[in-house]
Amino acid sequence: MKISININSRLKELEVKPNETLLSALRNNGYTEVKCGCSEGECGACLVLLDEKPVNSCQVLAMSIRNKQVKTVKGIGTLYLPHLIQKAFVEAGADQCGFCSPGMIVASYSILKETGNRPSKEDIRRGLDGNLCRCTGYVKIIEAVGMAAEKSLQEETQKPEAVCTNM
Amino acid sequence: MLSENLTWEFPSSAEEAAGLLLRPGALLHAGGTRILKTCPKSVKLLIDTGGLGLDYINFTDNAYYIGSGVTFSEIVKYPAKGKSLPLLQSSLSGAASTPLRNRITIGGSLKDFPLWSSLYAPLIALKARVEILTDKPAIHTVEDYVSSGIIKTKHLIKHLIIDEESGLISGVKKFSILKFQYPAFTIAIALCMKGRMVEDARLVITGVRNRFMRFTKAEEMLKGKTLNELTLEEVHRHISPSFMSDYKFSASYKEKAARIIFMDLFKEIKGGMR
Repeated sequence: MKISININSRLKELEVKPNETLLSALRNNGYTEVKCGCSEGECGACLVLLDEKPVNSCQVLAMSIRNKQVKTVKGIGTLYLPHLIQKAFVEAGADQCGFCSPGMIVASYSILKETGNRPSKEDIRRGLDGNLCRCTGYVKIIEAVGMAAEKSLQEETQKPEAVCTNM
Repeated sequence: MLSENLTWEFPSSAEEAAGLLLRPGALLHAGGTRILKTCPKSVKLLIDTGGLGLDYINFTDNAYYIGSGVTFSEIVKYPAKGKSLPLLQSSLSGAASTPLRNRITIGGSLKDFPLWSSLYAPLIALKARVEILTDKPAIHTVEDYVSSGIIKTKHLIKHLIIDEESGLISGVKKFSILKFQYPAFTIAIALCMKGRMVEDARLVITGVRNRFMRFTKAEEMLKGKTLNELTLEEVHRHISPSFMSDYKFSASYKEKAARIIFMDLFKEIKGGMR
């Protein structure tokens, strides 16, 4: 069966099986940045944004998301054009083996968006409650999200104000 | 794993979906997390409820109407008025994880009622009702919906109805080793006060042998009294939940834990009255 999904701001037609998960559909179509961890919705390695909300793609049947918008970690930032969150993860040393990082970045992106770049520590912890990391012990990850939030706020305040020319 | 030979239907009205549900092997697909966990082999047709427009929360005539397509996250974020909805929000805010709460729907969770459900205890304590669509549309209390076996029939849930009670004081607590784990049980207390007197009491626990139970003796004891008239020991005597052992906890351990947690919650509610 063919379904249309908007993935990372591009409309795609994917061939999917009726019992296939979104995770499997994405990976079979080249989106291997979405990682397969537990396949039970526990680890968050497969996290994507579905209509801007983080979901475990292993817990979503692909057929049920026709015409929706999916964003993977590559839709947030790439190797050559990293997002502030990705830069903060590197700076803080928030990833070691890197397997959980795509999911962590997606969750962090959602936290910053929901809190207007002003997350409390509790917001960060809560927003990452569906992501497991077996290397870092989370401290540096939480720090990285805080750093990204601060930098995003700084960027916001440094933006020149719009000037009205139609006087 | 679900069968590869599944077919999907995407109805655009609740009536159409209720009709499709009568087909053999038909199952409603709301958020889908439970379907993927249980993978029922008998399923031949999945009916997606995403296009039915059941994703609303309305507050009218002093009651909340929560569509069955509303996710746990949407309920938690809803700007609640009054005292009833916050009890449900408090329970659901700690259910599963953020990404799962973004998928789990009220309808799917009501129909499924897993033992670890964070939904049922507050709903029964709030005397919530559920409107279902079948060949005979009807409204049942959530308590009847489970205990009379309607939950096992094929039907589409339209919405939940939760009345706002002005004199309500309430609380909910769950028991799990780690905060994000599925709870072994959930306890909800709702006391409807008239002045300082308890007019109505609902003390509910889920996760027990018969899925849920109400501590009716304790409820009766509370009615018509002020909270200061009763000692905690008097209430405690009537808290006797019956559990089944599982791979995490023995039944007797859970019984002891439930009594302690119940009394903690009761003390908190009593303390909040002062």
